[in-house]
Amino acid sequence: MIQINNLKKEFKQGKSNIQVLKNVDLEIQEGEFVAIMGPSGAGKSTLLQLLAGLDVPTEGEIIINNNYLHEMSERERTIFRRRNIGLVFQNYQLLPNLTVEENIAFPLHADGKSSKDKMYVITELLESVGLSDFENTKPNLLSGGQQQRVAIARALVNNPSVLLADEPTGNLDRNTAEDTLNLMTKFNHQYNQTIIMVTHDIFSAGFADRILLFKDGEVDQSISRKEENYAKYMANFMA
Amino acid sequence: MSVKYGILTLLSIHQNHGYDLKIELESLLGANVKINAGQIYTTLDRLIRDELVRLVGEDDQERKIYTIEPKGVIELTKWLLEPVPYVSTRDSFHFKWSCARKIKFDHEEKMLNQQKLVIMQDVMELTKLKTECLLNNEEDKYLLISGALLHLEADLNWIHQIENRRYK
Repeated sequence: MIQINNLKKEFKQGKSNIQVLKNVDLEIQEGEFVAIMGPSGAGKSTLLQLLAGLDVPTEGEIIINNNYLHEMSERERTIFRRRNIGLVFQNYQLLPNLTVEENIAFPLHADGKSSKDKMYVITELLESVGLSDFENTKPNLLSGGQQQRVAIARALVNNPSVLLADEPTGNLDRNTAEDTLNLMTKFNHQYNQTIIMVTHDIFSAGFADRILLFKDGEVDQSISRKEENYAKYMANFMA
Repeated sequence: MSVKYGILTLLSIHQNHGYDLKIELESLLGANVKINAGQIYTTLDRLIRDELVRLVGEDDQERKIYTIEPKGVIELTKWLLEPVPYVSTRDSFHFKWSCARKIKFDHEEKMLNQQKLVIMQDVMELTKLKTECLLNNEEDKYLLISGALLHLEADLNWIHQIENRRYK
């Protein structure tokens, strides 16, 4: 479970302080798929940065599966991130000189593990993301959708409990975006991974169990899927 | 309207009796739609009068069997090829919003916000259903739901546009 208590983040801009996050309180259950939406500057990406331990809050607590992230040193946060968090970005951020397989294995090396012992994990991931034939290909020869699938496989290689995705479908066309989100949903169900995804489009957010609308650094609305409505649609379309 | 063309559609597949047409038509329209038998028979009478359908006789259970006439096939084809006009201005929320604007309704922002939340919830539910159809290889339903989702997205974008122009 992820608990966020009274979270605040300020940035200095000239002489003044800009409050990007104000008093955010949140609880996200294990295995939940949460989409974060809201206008630019609402604090969505800042929240992901803090959850990934890439930055520290000005005030407040972040507790991920009983680990107190806000109390860790930078080194501790780095180790925690490598072992517990998968990151997916809009622009994929693959290493251009490495092959698909080497890109996926990269977090293992960074964590001091040998990719040889984990070869079966990499093979399985390549298969799950439908790229078994591309293991020796360099990223620049792949389409945007394929590159994002490599990035998702890389994010999952350490079997993290939390997957953080910042606009993962932002550069993809609709069909490719749908494939990518179906893949994320599949992993979410298969491994009970918690997914927190920042997105600007409702099409992507629709895949989540809950949508959080951010406004001016706060959670403005929380929308969950209602089972009774779901039943109504089932009846309409499944006839 | 849909009963007339629904019957023509079903009879163009094979001849049939009234009760079966009712059941198949309900399934075509979705489970929440119930058609009363009277509606089926009066429509069949009208279709016979207009020479679009013909009575061929009775089956062994003394049920009247109907079949489509060539004129009926032409009518059905014409209807299928006719593009459907955009009806969203008649949609209840569009009408409601027009009324709100007309009286300079104080709570327009709240009204828009609530509508947005309902749309988002609908999107979440339909997306889940769409994914299930994909997994079950139910291609037609998957495409129908994708179509419904595109409409919802358009509605949401429209509300965003109203909001953006309100705060300009």
